[in-house]
Amino acid sequence: MIKKTLSKFILVFFFCSSSIASSMAFAQSSEESEVKIFIENVGNQIINIANEKTLSEAKKREKIINEIDKVIDSEWIAKFVLGKNYKNLTDLQKKEFIQLYRDFMINTYGPKFKNYNGKKFSVNEVEKQSSFYIARGEFLPKDSNEPILTDFRVKKKDGKLYVLDFIAEGISLIETQRSEFNASIDNEGAEVFLKNLDSKVKKLKTNKK
Amino acid sequence: MSKKFLLTFLVLFFCSALCHAKPQNYSSSRLPTQKNEDHEFESYKPVTTVKISDPYEKINRKIFAINETFDRYFFEHVAKTYRKTVPNPARKLVRNFLSNLSLPISAVNSFAQGKIDNGLATFSTFLINSTLGVGGLFNIAQSKGITYHFEDLGQTLGYYNLDQGSFLMLPIIGPSTTRDFSGWAIDKAINPLSFNALEIGGNHDLVDNQFIIATSSLYSIDTRESLIDIIDDIRQDSFDPYATIRFAYLQKRAREIQK
Repeated sequence: MIKKTLSKFILVFFFCSSSIASSMAFAQSSEESEVKIFIENVGNQIINIANEKTLSEAKKREKIINEIDKVIDSEWIAKFVLGKNYKNLTDLQKKEFIQLYRDFMINTYGPKFKNYNGKKFSVNEVEKQSSFYIARGEFLPKDSNEPILTDFRVKKKDGKLYVLDFIAEGISLIETQRSEFNASIDNEGAEVFLKNLDSKVKKLKTNKK
Repeated sequence: MSKKFLLTFLVLFFCSALCHAKPQNYSSSRLPTQKNEDHEFESYKPVTTVKISDPYEKINRKIFAINETFDRYFFEHVAKTYRKTVPNPARKLVRNFLSNLSLPISAVNSFAQGKIDNGLATFSTFLINSTLGVGGLFNIAQSKGITYHFEDLGQTLGYYNLDQGSFLMLPIIGPSTTRDFSGWAIDKAINPLSFNALEIGGNHDLVDNQFIIATSSLYSIDTRESLIDIIDDIRQDSFDPYATIRFAYLQKRAREIQK
C-alpha cells in the first residue's frame, strides 16, 4: 500500500515539476519574443523614417528624436553614466543633470540615426542577463553586404520595455559615456561638468543638421 | 481509503499552487525605488570587462594633444581628399589588397590560439584572394562564404591571459597598450610581407623597402579615411575625447580577445 502511495506521489511530483519547468520556460521565451519584436519594431521604424523621401532633413530629425525619446529610460541611463558621482550631487544638481542628460542623449544620437537608411534591421537572438535583456541584432547597410552588429540592452519597467544601451561592434554607448563623464568630473568637478553639458545641449538644440 | 484520498488531494493541491506561482519579476512587480535601482546597477553585467590602467595619463594626454594638432592640420585633410578623389569601389580594392597582406600573420596567430577553423579560413582566404583575387584586390573568398576574424599577436597574448599592461597613447599610431604595441611590433617584424625578420622564404628582403613604405603609408591613409565620421562625432559630442577613445579602444580589444 505504501509502495502504491509512493509511486502515485512520484508520478504527481514529476508531472508538476515538468509543468513548472515548461511554464517558466514558456514565460521566459515569451518575454524574449516580446523583446525581439519590440527592438525590431524600433529599428525598422527608424529605418523607415530615414528612408522617407517626402520628409525634409529637419522633419526626419524631429521624428527620429521623438521615437528615441519614447523608447529610452533616460533617467535610469543618466544615473548609470554618472555612477558613484551621482550620489555626490546635490538634489538640485541631480534634477538638473537628469533633464540635461535626456536632452543631450536624444539631440546627440537621434540625428545620427537619420543616416541609417539601410536595407534592413533584424534581431537574431535575445539573451536574459539578470534583470536585463540583450537583443543581438544586425543592421544591413544599403551599400554593403557586410552587416553591422548592433545590440541593444533592454529592461522592463512597470510592464513596459525600455532601451538602456546601444552596443555597436562590441562598444557600449553608456559604458563609454560613463568612463568619459567620470573622467571629466574627476578632472574639472561636477559644477563645471554640468555647465559644459548645459552649453552643449543649447548648441545641439540650435544646430540644424 | 479516506487517508489515501486526503494525501493525494494535499499533494495535488500543493503542486498546483507551485504550478501557478508567477516567478517574481523584479523590475515590474513594484515601482522603482532607490534600492531597486542600486540592485540593478550592481547586477549590471558590462558588455566586456574593461580595466583602465593609465599610469602615464599626463604624458599620454600631451601626446594625444600633439596627435590631434597633427591630424587636424594635416592628416585629416589627406584622408578627406583621398575619400573625395578616389571613388568607393577603388577604395574597396585598396582595402582588400592591404587586408590580404596581413592574413598570413593572422592565420599564424589563430593557430597559436588553437582556433584551427579560423586559422584555416584565414589561410584559405589569403590563398584564394592572392590568386583568383588578383593579388588580393578582390575578396573572392568572402563571396564564396568563407569568413574569418582577424587575430594579431596582442590578441594571442591576451588569449593566454597576459595582462594588457598600461594604456599608451602613441605618436601618430594612436591608442594602444604595452601588450598590444609589443604584439604589433613583433607581428610587423616577422610578417614575411613586411620586414621578414625570420627570413621566411630564405631571403630577408622578400619585399623591398619601398613596398613596405608605400603599403604602410597607404594603410595609414585608408585607416584614417575609415574613421572620418567616428572621429568627427567624438570631437563634436565628447566632453573628454581622450577618455572616450581610451575606453572605446580598451573595450574593443577586450571584445576581440573574447571572440
